Amino acid sequence: MKNLIIKSIYCCLCAVLLLGASACSDKFDTREGQLSSSAIDYTDPSQMIGALIGAYNVVGTRGWEEPLLLSVRGDDVNAGGLGDQQPFADTDQYVYNKDYWMYNSLWNGHYSDIIDLNTAILQIENFMEFMEGEDLERAQQYIAEIKVLRGWLHLNITRTYEDVYIYRTNEPATEIEENGISSKEEVLQFISDEMDEAIPNLPDQRPNERTDLPGGVTMYTAYALKAIANLELENYQAVADATGEIISSGKFSLYPDYYQLFKKPGELSDESLFEIQYSDFGNSTGDSFYHLYAPFGPQGWEPVRENASGGWGFFEPSMKFIKFMIERDDETRLVTSVNFTNRGIQALEDDGVDVPSYVSNTTPSGDVLNDYARAFFSSGKQYLPSVQLTEGRNNYSAGKNYIVMRYAEVLLMYAEAVVRGANGTGMTADQAVNTVRNRAGLGNLSGVTIDDVMDEKFAELAMEWGIRYYDMIRLDNYDELSYDGRSFSAADEYLPYPQAQVDALPLGD
Amino acid sequence: MNVKLFLASVFFLVFSGLTYAQQTKTISGTVTDGNQVPLPGAEVKVIDKSIFSVTDFDGNFTLEGVESGDVFRVTFLGFSPQEMEVGSSNEYSVVLQEDAGQLDEVVVVGYGTQKKRDLTGSIVSVDAEEIEKTPTSNAMQSLQGKVPGVQIVSAGSPGNSPTVRIRGLGTYNTDSGDSNVLYVVDGAFYDNIDFLNTKDIKSINVLKDASSSAIYGVRAANGVVIIETKSGKINQKPQFEYDGYTGVQVANNVVKMANAEQFVTMVQESGSEAEQQYILNAMQRYGRSRVNPNVPDVNTDWYNEIMRPGIIQSHSIGVSGGGEQVAYSMGVNYFDQEGILDMKNEYERFNIRSKMDVDISDRFRGGVNAVFSNATKYNPENAAWFKAYFAVPIMPVIDSLNTNATPVRYSNAQNLGYRGIQNPFTDLNYNNDREKIRKLLTNVYFEGDLIEDKLTFKTSYSHNYSAFENRYVNLPFTLGNNFERISSIERQQNNFSNQYWDNTLTYNDEFGDHDLTVLAGHSYRDEAANRFRATGENIRGIRFDSSWYLDFADPLSFSDNVREEFDRIYGLSFFGRIAYDFKDKYLAYGTVRYERSSKFTKDPWGLFPSVGLGWVVSEESFMENVDFLSFWKLRASYGQLGNDNVVASSGTNTIDNVFADFGDQALNGFTSTSVFTDNTWERVVEYNFGTDINMFDDRLNVTADYYIRDTEDAIMPITIPVINVVLQQNAGTIRNQGLELGINWQDNVSEDFSYRIGANLTTINNEVTEINNEEGFINAGSAEFRQITRIGDPIQAFFGYEVEGVYQNQAEVDADPFAANQPEANLMPGDLIYKDQNGDGFINADDRVILGSFLPDFTFGGNIGLNYKAFDFSMSFYGQVGNKILNRKRGEIIFTQDTNMDADLAINRWHGEGTSNTYPSSAGLRKLWNQQLSEFWVEDGDFFRIQNIQVGYTIKSDDLPQTRVYFTAERPFTFFDYNGFDPEVNDGVDRQTYPVPSIYTVGINVKI
Repeated sequence: MKNLIIKSIYCCLCAVLLLGASACSDKFDTREGQLSSSAIDYTDPSQMIGALIGAYNVVGTRGWEEPLLLSVRGDDVNAGGLGDQQPFADTDQYVYNKDYWMYNSLWNGHYSDIIDLNTAILQIENFMEFMEGEDLERAQQYIAEIKVLRGWLHLNITRTYEDVYIYRTNEPATEIEENGISSKEEVLQFISDEMDEAIPNLPDQRPNERTDLPGGVTMYTAYALKAIANLELENYQAVADATGEIISSGKFSLYPDYYQLFKKPGELSDESLFEIQYSDFGNSTGDSFYHLYAPFGPQGWEPVRENASGGWGFFEPSMKFIKFMIERDDETRLVTSVNFTNRGIQALEDDGVDVPSYVSNTTPSGDVLNDYARAFFSSGKQYLPSVQLTEGRNNYSAGKNYIVMRYAEVLLMYAEAVVRGANGTGMTADQAVNTVRNRAGLGNLSGVTIDDVMDEKFAELAMEWGIRYYDMIRLDNYDELSYDGRSFSAADEYLPYPQAQVDALPLGD
Repeated sequence: MNVKLFLASVFFLVFSGLTYAQQTKTISGTVTDGNQVPLPGAEVKVIDKSIFSVTDFDGNFTLEGVESGDVFRVTFLGFSPQEMEVGSSNEYSVVLQEDAGQLDEVVVVGYGTQKKRDLTGSIVSVDAEEIEKTPTSNAMQSLQGKVPGVQIVSAGSPGNSPTVRIRGLGTYNTDSGDSNVLYVVDGAFYDNIDFLNTKDIKSINVLKDASSSAIYGVRAANGVVIIETKSGKINQKPQFEYDGYTGVQVANNVVKMANAEQFVTMVQESGSEAEQQYILNAMQRYGRSRVNPNVPDVNTDWYNEIMRPGIIQSHSIGVSGGGEQVAYSMGVNYFDQEGILDMKNEYERFNIRSKMDVDISDRFRGGVNAVFSNATKYNPENAAWFKAYFAVPIMPVIDSLNTNATPVRYSNAQNLGYRGIQNPFTDLNYNNDREKIRKLLTNVYFEGDLIEDKLTFKTSYSHNYSAFENRYVNLPFTLGNNFERISSIERQQNNFSNQYWDNTLTYNDEFGDHDLTVLAGHSYRDEAANRFRATGENIRGIRFDSSWYLDFADPLSFSDNVREEFDRIYGLSFFGRIAYDFKDKYLAYGTVRYERSSKFTKDPWGLFPSVGLGWVVSEESFMENVDFLSFWKLRASYGQLGNDNVVASSGTNTIDNVFADFGDQALNGFTSTSVFTDNTWERVVEYNFGTDINMFDDRLNVTADYYIRDTEDAIMPITIPVINVVLQQNAGTIRNQGLELGINWQDNVSEDFSYRIGANLTTINNEVTEINNEEGFINAGSAEFRQITRIGDPIQAFFGYEVEGVYQNQAEVDADPFAANQPEANLMPGDLIYKDQNGDGFINADDRVILGSFLPDFTFGGNIGLNYKAFDFSMSFYGQVGNKILNRKRGEIIFTQDTNMDADLAINRWHGEGTSNTYPSSAGLRKLWNQQLSEFWVEDGDFFRIQNIQVGYTIKSDDLPQTRVYFTAERPFTFFDYNGFDPEVNDGVDRQTYPVPSIYTVGINVKI
């Protein structure tokens, strides 16, 4: 009897054990709480845009140091922030340190984004296998858009480090093995060729005319990027042709208020060819997609809107630029580009500058800058007046868009190319320069020289993505860069490869 | 495989018919110890028959159905077993002698027990008495300095668990829980035992070598600690015990900061105009000191301001006992500890425990065990430790002029011109971080003898359920200078549900000189975790804690602030163990575990074998005449372990949901990864050689072990170039090797006086022997404070310049070739002189060397115990040598150079020829040259500490229950050179380490 009970107990146990072992075997192969990329339904055309939006997100998440490092070596801007981020200040003085984190971070940030964009292209290609007709065209447009975004990232990289890698796939190791490193000329030519390839697939619209993705890349963004790449290549005819396409489309015009162009009212204007869009969507809490503008801001200020935060004082318009602007009496663009402190105004006066009365430590929007130890001046184009902040949002310049390419730059590139001998289509160089000047409240010039054009670029595009610096090194104009105690030589044009990359990649030394 | 075994056993059962005896009688007797004290609960068993009894309260037993010539055996824990033959008498009196040595002591091993003398591996047991001496919420703390090979790094904040490292560091990721030891509490797996009351623990067994722990397979790579909780005994009178202590904790060795005058001197010498301006600002705002008119009239000692003494108390009540069939043990405990940081920082825990074991019949036993722990922890704002270091002393805590600060007018350093707020009081008083921790351990088992005394089947199911409820409240405040923080509440609910089902079959037999134990088992585990997190902002009624719920938050603020993650892993394993000895002289031991974990996408099945051999030399005939040597064993073992306590590999590209802005509309999209992990086990391979020696009638005991422990396929963070993604991949080998030595002497001089002395030493040599990536090294830390893992060096070693001194005068600078070769360094007297390692005349990245590791070279510990009549005294000490600490608090000057510093640096700075050859000048501290990581920032962490002193007095009287009163001083004195609070820094980077306080308590223990 006892035996029988025991026997049945064990039979049951054995059965349970067998059941348990078989029931769990398939659990081992699933990974709970993980969304695999194979879970996307590639046959559903409505999901395809998700990959493109992801690509814009990738380009929008720029590190705070990137615009600073791309620009700081120009004679329009200084490091400011003395006493902090010393190697950043050294970079401003053309003393380079290949171990400095910013160099590595700029490299990493750009290349990892390029790979992410290439992965997004692969995702769209997965959809393409199942698409036809309009959907297929849309897929081709999306890929072309991503190629423009990826071209801009390649441009920044080659401008900074000269000879770099080009990545068209998301398998960089293979590409390095097959193609090795590309010269700056090759990279720029690659960008230009990619734009030629992309243009037919892109919408013939201004970015702000797009209804699916307002502000997204269009045909004209690609033309603008092509022009910039060819300007770097000193291929002026191609510059004139590409900019000519934009001008003759008749779609673009300068935003009338230069000051507000860089504020909320100027977002996605008819002047914009490409801007990275940031927003808190008008809500005081919840989602926000921001760039960290604090490094550009003044350290101490009295904002009109209570509790609006100041910044770190890391980006200081140069005395040279300010003197240049005062000499030209270029009021609108000076007060837009520079926010002054009393200490800075004093320093100008001490330097014998006759400071005009429109220069004050109160911005045109009423925010008052206090003196702070780090810097004399703060940059205006990255400044959003505190009254334009969304209620409850206190971050410096919270939600402000970052303009990357605009029509004024296109006009001036066109003018430069024509003055340098290229054939223009339609407009004259004088007309192009004067269009820009008139918007800034300046009178017409006639028979513009190359110096006039370069001065106009300096005045119009200062503190924007290092345009000034890259112009100067393109023209080997080292005298301009040897200012305020600096001395610039050909060896200083490019940053050294970051040590971390030298360790990991076949970059030579 | 084990299914077959079951079938075999069932089969066996069917044919093992019972035979019935013929001529029988009933005998009775009593069991006492040498002092005629009856021993209740002793087991009495007739050899080779199923006749069995247990003594009652008075030590009496009866055996029915015995025959003349039968032999019965009496066993009782802690006493030598005794056998008697049944003769003509029906009455027997058995006197048991106490065990002479600890060699017959039974040690808990994986899924069973083993006699200590038969061990071939390295296992250390610590019994309750030692554990209870330390006033702590986590029993592992009490092991500090007691067990060779085990490094315990204390945690300062109440309720936090110490870092436990067994035999060095075998896994790369030190902070993510990957390096956690496996705790096996009554059979269930844990990675933390903070839910156990110290008083409820019967023993802690540390399984150090791979051979001992291999049976735990994939979770055992960082060492295994087996914990048994207390249980009752059959036929034991109920014993009631109260134990309580209360005391105070105070910070020790508080870092002395530069006072206002020293700070101002440093600033004046720095040459920084901006900083000098801030001093003027402070004098303008707060006035000038009357003592020294060049100093502001404020002198705040921030550490003094943010600290307080803390209370600690613990009260435990327990009852244990047993009847004829049921043994029980139950208890409650209340533990309460305040932190020494002056904010809502405390830990309170209430525990309930019950355990019941039932003899269902002669052959079947079962039991249930439950521990419920309900704790509330208010976490400290550790940033305060950091801020109090660098906050300038020329600023008061409260600044009545700061009228824009609400609700309290706390000072804001920005008002003086500084970049940051600095004041730590906003962290202390405007943040509230509550964590409710509820843990439930449940276990039920059933055990049956399939063949009596020989074959036993056991099945055991455990479920441990933990719920962590976090609420992090940010109160709103303003602080002037446009600083405003809006209110927010972050809620987290993290639940973990882990289930284990173990089945084992144990066969035990003695034949002739052979003694054999064979175990086969099967285990299934299911570990699920659910993590929920939501943050709400702009809380209505935030000033009242009755509204500290998300319900009162602005609903818009939830978008993108709500997260839920889920993961669940499964493990399936089969395991076995064989232990064999011949004539108690030659020992052999082997285990194997075959296991699958769903965490791995590559080769998910792992096979982990181990073997051990032992030779008891003292049993050999040629040792018979060596009288002073009572026991001598040599042993060697080899084993392999897996570690799946790592990040699960994904095995495929994954998707992230993201959004972007288009014309102030958020549109949703996705990004996809382009690389992923595909990992297999980290595998530990270990060799252990050891010896145990007992001498002079077991009074002297020496245990020594040498081990070499390699972690192969160690998971390391490999940065994929270009893609710039860090993947946790199988990428290297880490070797730990070392010597462990323990020596103990104990002697009972007379009935009134006994004493013991012990000492132990552990050496640790940690080294990475293989890294598979392009660079050949892995960077850790930040660029400014570089730590590096290279082949041939320890994990995450500090990496920088060797300092040869300080330039004393301009002539020294001029004579140095670097000054000419590197004019941009702008060398001056007062700057550090670095060693040009490669002699190329330049000081650059190539001259950096390993400056040391946060792992010590060796640790040592010791203890002394005295018993004299009713008094007892014990003291233990602990020390470590060779570990380095990065003084990251000092290092903050790299980022913000206008902050305060410790008095040692302020006083001993270079300020003229001959003033210092180790510290740079004040101006030098602000220069990039001196800010590079060098020996200046990396300090020795050596320390020696009186760990614990306890004095007790036991009242033994017929009128009173047995009562012991005791006084404990925990960590009363620590000696070290490091310029910080505390040389115990878990990862060697002292930025905001919570200092470990000294604790003084009085306690009382009553047993009825």
